[in-house]
Amino acid sequence: MKVLNKPVDMIAVFYSSGRVEPVRFRYDDTPVKVDRVLKRYSEKLAGNRRLCFVCINDGSKVYELKYEVDTQVWYLFKM
Amino acid sequence: MQDRIIMHIDVNSAFLSWQAVYNLQRGHSLDLREIPSAVGGNQATRHGIILARSIPAKNHGVKTGEPVWEAKTKCPGLVLVPPDRHLYMKCSSALMDILREYSPRVQQYSIDEAFLDYTGMEKRFGPPLVLAGRLKDRVREELGFTVNIGISCNKLLAKMASDFKKPDRVHTLFPGEIKDKMWPLPVENLFMVGKRTAKKLRSMGILTIGDIASADPDLLKYKLKSHGLLIYDYARGIENSAVFPGYYMPMKGMGNSSTIPFDVENTRTARLILLSLSETVAMRLRYSRSCCSVIAVSIKYSDFRHCSHQQKLLTPVNCTMDIYRTAARLFDEAWDGSPVRHMGVRASGLDRDNHIQCSVFDHPRYAGNLQLDKAIDRIRNAYGIKSVVRACFINSGICASLGGMGSENWPVMSSTL
Repeated sequence: MKVLNKPVDMIAVFYSSGRVEPVRFRYDDTPVKVDRVLKRYSEKLAGNRRLCFVCINDGSKVYELKYEVDTQVWYLFKM
Repeated sequence: MQDRIIMHIDVNSAFLSWQAVYNLQRGHSLDLREIPSAVGGNQATRHGIILARSIPAKNHGVKTGEPVWEAKTKCPGLVLVPPDRHLYMKCSSALMDILREYSPRVQQYSIDEAFLDYTGMEKRFGPPLVLAGRLKDRVREELGFTVNIGISCNKLLAKMASDFKKPDRVHTLFPGEIKDKMWPLPVENLFMVGKRTAKKLRSMGILTIGDIASADPDLLKYKLKSHGLLIYDYARGIENSAVFPGYYMPMKGMGNSSTIPFDVENTRTARLILLSLSETVAMRLRYSRSCCSVIAVSIKYSDFRHCSHQQKLLTPVNCTMDIYRTAARLFDEAWDGSPVRHMGVRASGLDRDNHIQCSVFDHPRYAGNLQLDKAIDRIRNAYGIKSVVRACFINSGICASLGGMGSENWPVMSSTL
């Protein structure tokens, strides 16, 4: 996987329980639907909180999305 | 009474490693800590000193505090990154949050250092050495940067211990270990012994901390006054101050200063800069609900000569224009006409601002100015510092509010433990 850390437009669900679910994002003008979240964790490197989602599409394409809490920006981190 | 257990937590090359971790988080492949790199000011605006450097840069002889060009000549491949105050605050508070999980008594000593009073917490978290190891690993895993932890029975020894070997280590320095671990070190390594004291000590034949401890205290007092007795106690590991929770230090004064990107050669520009500095100082005074009765101006000339001039006021003030008028007068009295590279305005003799004794010599528009400042502060708080700017700064090329704001939330080092 390659590290991109590219800001992306995102549609996500923020549940009242506090859970966050990425649903659909735009990559190079192509909409991509998130098939399945394999793993979720949060990181606090350098005090900067990010929610991380390891996702998979078409059964084999693994990529990583990150939501930066302070700036409220979604990133396509790795692909 | 049970012996205290104090830990001193110190981030290894703080500004640099924070920047390095932040860059890694943003997907950079290069770890600044592994190459010769440094955090440094912008040379174009003459804020050109090294604030922090990586260990490989240190091996090239790059020192903290030296000019950027000097560091570049020592190490031509040096990678420079600009400072990012906002990031440092974030890293610092994340570290403090972790520390507070282990003890209610955590004193933030500077932006990258803290004391933690572990006395009585052994029953909950285990022996201090084990906890310190765990804590250091947790900070590395969770926040991504490394810390050194010193453990002892007082703040001084804990601080000395965290300074031993870096990075990512835990050291102890209990009174029984002073002789082996601290006494062989050169005098400069002792807290509160700077370059000048070290020179005086060396001229007395005192070369190591052990020499200070075995010196005659009367001689030290004769040569260095009360400071001599202080370092005599410190060399023997005697220090009893408590760990103050939070970061609290009664303020004695506040000031702002700035290195100007060009040399100031005329009164008009100098006045603009003084006004700009007075603006930030006065805003900070009003923010902390204080007023000042002493105003000082400092000048550094382009040949690095330095002078300062101060005046005690008849009545305490916190109005921008009052401070500016005094600062301008002081500057006129002190300035010898040579080009100036750095100016500062400082307010001291602080008092609460709830009662101010007026005088017949006050400026006729005193009350009006007070109201005006209040209104401007409210607008700036709501819409940012640049929302209201004095017209004289328009097209002047000078920032309307020079100098940093709010050292209230930017802990600075102090000589008091």
